[in-house]
Amino acid sequence: MVVLMRYLLGTLALVTFAGLTGADAPVQNTSLDEAQIVEITAERFSFTPSEVRTKAGTRLEIRLKSEDTAHGFHIVGTDVDIELRKRGRGVVTVSFVPKAVGRYTFECSQLCGAGHEFMRGVIIAE
Amino acid sequence: MNKKVLTFLVQVARAILVLLLATPAFAQSAAPATTRQPPRTNLSGYMDFHYNKPEFEDGRADFHRFVLLLIHSFTDRIRFVGELELEHALVEGLEDAGELELEQAYVDFLLSRAVNVRAGMMLMPIGIINERHEPPVYYGVERPFVDTVIVPTTWFEAGVGVHGEVGRGWRYRAFLTAPLNAAEFNAEDGIREGRQKGAESNMGRAAVAGRVEYVGRRGLTVGGSLWSGHSGFEFRRRFDVPVSVAEGDVRYVRDRLELRGQFAQVWIDNADLLNDALARRVGVDPNVARVMRGFYTEVGYRVISGARFGDVGAFARYENFDTQFRMPAGAVRLPQFDREAWVMGATYWPDPDVAVKVDYSLVRNRSMVIQAPNSFNVGLGWWF
Repeated sequence: MVVLMRYLLGTLALVTFAGLTGADAPVQNTSLDEAQIVEITAERFSFTPSEVRTKAGTRLEIRLKSEDTAHGFHIVGTDVDIELRKRGRGVVTVSFVPKAVGRYTFECSQLCGAGHEFMRGVIIAE
Repeated sequence: MNKKVLTFLVQVARAILVLLLATPAFAQSAAPATTRQPPRTNLSGYMDFHYNKPEFEDGRADFHRFVLLLIHSFTDRIRFVGELELEHALVEGLEDAGELELEQAYVDFLLSRAVNVRAGMMLMPIGIINERHEPPVYYGVERPFVDTVIVPTTWFEAGVGVHGEVGRGWRYRAFLTAPLNAAEFNAEDGIREGRQKGAESNMGRAAVAGRVEYVGRRGLTVGGSLWSGHSGFEFRRRFDVPVSVAEGDVRYVRDRLELRGQFAQVWIDNADLLNDALARRVGVDPNVARVMRGFYTEVGYRVISGARFGDVGAFARYENFDTQFRMPAGAVRLPQFDREAWVMGATYWPDPDVAVKVDYSLVRNRSMVIQAPNSFNVGLGWWF
């Protein structure tokens, strides 16, 4: 039992260390070749795709556009929070590196209508 | 279990707690939000100004809706959303005057992407328009007839429930809410007047409302909704009035093209007993049907898109709606409430959040005596 618990604690410490050393802010230093490009479309009241899978440590280049009004794109627990321009006004790009294995929730951060609270998605880092 | 092991387990538990709280990235594997941000409050809203010219009547200018939306984030996990609507510009307390309505006022507890808890005044998750009614997002000056007399938008009620999303775009909502009040049902508007609107709503037996929808493919939304409640609380000593609403809808947007379709049906059990009881109470039989049904299909196309001066779209919608679809035994069907409509028009968006609309509505019914009036409509709607 004690051995099991020590193993568990050790694993947790390792995972935590990885998380602490990898702040969730966008990382700029990874070369473009290594980036995983993700295109996300926003419209009232959904992101498509709303689920993005990647490997921990991979730099995501997220390209966002709106099909209607201005939306926000905020990755909860990070500094990533940008405004998407209204329909027809171009694409905005943001980089994000999920340094640790986990689920990173993203959401619309600009009130966009009655169903605004449903606009959420997740980046799954494996 | 000896004391040494127990102490070790306590230390492990403490370590897990500390580590989860200290590590945002790791914590997100169990929950979506860990970092608290300063309280944030945002204000938005939409407005809807109409000119309606029914056939054989004078035209009317109506500031139909003035709506303010408010969101406040207590934390990343706890949020308040409010929607206050002033209809028809003026509130006098008379039947034909406007209304001041608290359409949304709920707190969301965002536990995870899959499961979240909502409590307060909520929009019923039924159909396309009820949760998605900002003027620039739908064609036509007025909302579809089906979304007025079959699905009584804006349908809001006090309650509590859960909502979430799983996988790539599978969403659900399941709410316990106050039921409709069957004593207010009628032949023309169906169940519309039965909304209690959270005004000291009777909650003797809560209704259930649910919706499942798929939004996983870009531009496509496919959904189905159910509502079921016991609406005869004013007559419960003698009988009840179980009511069910089933609805299915699809919406597809691709570049300039937008397609919509919706089907909704209402079942009212003991409609015969309800009609009899209301006739005794007010002296007039309301002729409430036991089944009401409506559907519509709509095609919209942006004939001009991306121009410097904005977008222009044209649309056509066919609606069929009957609040006397199936009658209880002994009741006579009123054919003027078996209606269909063609609505055709155009929308000009000088900005994606501003819509100038014009349409013509051709309405027909099955009556040989009573005509349904056509109407010419102009609207200006905006979101900010």
